[in-house]
Amino acid sequence: MSKAFGIINFAGNHIRVDGLQEFRPVGAFSFLGRYRTIDFPISNMSNSEIENIQVYVRQKPRSLTEHLGTGRHYNINSKRGGLNILFTEHNQIGDIYSTDIAAYMENMDCIEELHFPYVVIAPSYMVYTADYSVFLKEHIESGADISMMYHSVDNAKESFLNCYTLNINKQKGVLSIDPNHGNAKNRNISMDTYVMTKELFIELVKKAHKMSSMYTFFDILNEECEELDIRAVPHRGYFAAISDFNSYYHANIDLIDLKNASGLFDSDWPIYTRTNDSCPTQYFEGSQVKSSVISNGCLIEGTVENSIIGRGCTIKPGAIVRNCVVSADVTIGKGVHAENLVIDKHARLVRGKRVIASPEKPGYIKRGDAL
Amino acid sequence: MKQNNMLAMILAGGRGSRLHELTKKVAKPAVSYGGKYRIIDFPLSNCANSGIDIVGVLTQYESILLNSYVAAGRRWGLDAKDSGVFVLPPREKSDANLDVYRGTADAISQNIDFIDTYSPEYLLILSGDHIYKMNYAKMLAYHRECNADATIAVIEVPMKEASRFGIMNANEDGRIVEFEEKPEHPKSNLASMGIYIFNWKLLRKMLLTDMKNEESNHDFGKDIIPTMLNDGKSLYAYKFKGYWKDVGTIDSLWEANMDLLDKNNELDLNDKTWKIYTEDVTALPHYVGADAVIDRAFITQGCVIDGEVKNSVLFTGAKVAPGAKVIDSVLMPGAEVAEGAVVTRALVADGIKIGKNAVVGSADSKNIELVAKRVKGDE
Repeated sequence: MSKAFGIINFAGNHIRVDGLQEFRPVGAFSFLGRYRTIDFPISNMSNSEIENIQVYVRQKPRSLTEHLGTGRHYNINSKRGGLNILFTEHNQIGDIYSTDIAAYMENMDCIEELHFPYVVIAPSYMVYTADYSVFLKEHIESGADISMMYHSVDNAKESFLNCYTLNINKQKGVLSIDPNHGNAKNRNISMDTYVMTKELFIELVKKAHKMSSMYTFFDILNEECEELDIRAVPHRGYFAAISDFNSYYHANIDLIDLKNASGLFDSDWPIYTRTNDSCPTQYFEGSQVKSSVISNGCLIEGTVENSIIGRGCTIKPGAIVRNCVVSADVTIGKGVHAENLVIDKHARLVRGKRVIASPEKPGYIKRGDAL
Repeated sequence: MKQNNMLAMILAGGRGSRLHELTKKVAKPAVSYGGKYRIIDFPLSNCANSGIDIVGVLTQYESILLNSYVAAGRRWGLDAKDSGVFVLPPREKSDANLDVYRGTADAISQNIDFIDTYSPEYLLILSGDHIYKMNYAKMLAYHRECNADATIAVIEVPMKEASRFGIMNANEDGRIVEFEEKPEHPKSNLASMGIYIFNWKLLRKMLLTDMKNEESNHDFGKDIIPTMLNDGKSLYAYKFKGYWKDVGTIDSLWEANMDLLDKNNELDLNDKTWKIYTEDVTALPHYVGADAVIDRAFITQGCVIDGEVKNSVLFTGAKVAPGAKVIDSVLMPGAEVAEGAVVTRALVADGIKIGKNAVVGSADSKNIELVAKRVKGDE
């Protein structure tokens, strides 16, 4: 059992995914057909033997609570451990007040009553795998106040634009945390993943709350950089931040390549999700499927190329689905050509025969919409 | 949900020796089917969907895997407060020696104490190795409507095949007048599906008598049903329409899998109102490579397809490498076909690897080839 409890934070105001976010928080986004983005941080925690996990939600909790349930499917011990979904009421007032600090303050009694000496915090809008037990162990051995994960990237000019970057000295000490303005290729992207003692965490939250009602946890860390010993811990393997519409689209499409996927999925590190008990996918005569990732419960008669197909989709004869990220229960009608799209749950593309966006700017088809 | 007063007992002790290596280590009900299922998922899911809360599973032959599989009742949603799946292998009792189940009826007799703890009004007896979807609540309603002592589900089979089955001869009202086990000259084509509903009080009495009868085979078909008919009890035939398959041989198991490839096939596993539940495996959605060709197939999560798959069913984690061909075949969980290998009209058992450029099975074979050992290829 871990010495830490886990916190899964919601995406802050700097994260904006057009379309999809109207219907659910980023953590509940469909990912690679059968997953939701939040499956990754929860599975990481569960696999790291973190038994007590708090999931913070600030808006539109329906799909997230439905997906998380009791948390049993995440292999969390149902008696000793627990998965708590904690809400914040501050979203009523407006986004400015709806910060992670406000959510932690509101639920402070739930944090204080936990008997774990450490806390691991991970975001719900980033997709990666990491062993937090190693992260925690190295943190304790280092003697640092806070350890935080980062991922070195060479495409920060065009990607990770809503993310934060770490300015690190040679000893891996964090000097400052800054927004990524996209003015350099090579950056250390903050993974918003931290470990520290529970006491320090509570202290920082209370301090931030006193200083400003709009402060986030990142703001207080930035403020305390000079006072505190904050260590940066590099992460290797697959890493994606779902920070805007394009990054959502590309994070999915990138994983069609099995080589990329093997940097995220490992049979020793299972990613759990809620099963829907769908039957296998049925391919009919005439189906043509290439370079794609297909979930269960689909009926495929048409053509699918370089796409991700969610659970329970129907691809009718003569339909062409190319470079698309398709959520669950979508129908692509006879002869419909869909290209470069994110197609949200329950959408039906039937009448409009050509729904094609440009590859530079993928299109979005609304949840439940009929085209 | 409130208990509907009917308890189900699934007979899952069968060895299924005509399935050869597939049942060497597991009992027939635990054999994989349909990409992601095991055969016993069907009666268990039917129970759950029919509102039956208590299910006893009678295991005997090679039962370790089956016991642990079935014990996780929540897979089928049978995990509410008053609900559960109970694994019932033969056990030693204070007043009797440890004894194997001597027959289908004896398996129930030896668990009278278990059934008594729930004091059900009706007992549903099922077979653990049939593939079908059935609402047992409807059968119970029919049983009550007929005021029957026992009701037996029957299915119409082609007349020329009727002599392979236990045949029920019923009058116009559906009342059974005669039962013939594998008759040479069948009088009707209503085959028993091995699904019975009994009034528990009556059956209990009969089982206690049957236990002491040294002449008896302790079998429902051979002993209990004929005795009831002789005693003038009212037995009714409940006609079932739909897909039903007893997969006794490699050929019939293969065939049952192939049935799933048909458009609008009768079993319809995609029916959202009657889902078949199974083990929840943590596997990726299936991956289809850049040069893959898939034509008529049933494919589940965890598969990776880079070669050609035609008229085939691929189970969890099966892999088809670039340039490999899988035609008219079934790849059981974890089976792998290496580059250039060709598999035709074969059933490749769990975890079996087919080596590079190896050729397995042939298009004009009479029987389906069971591949239960690794096939070496070019190194």
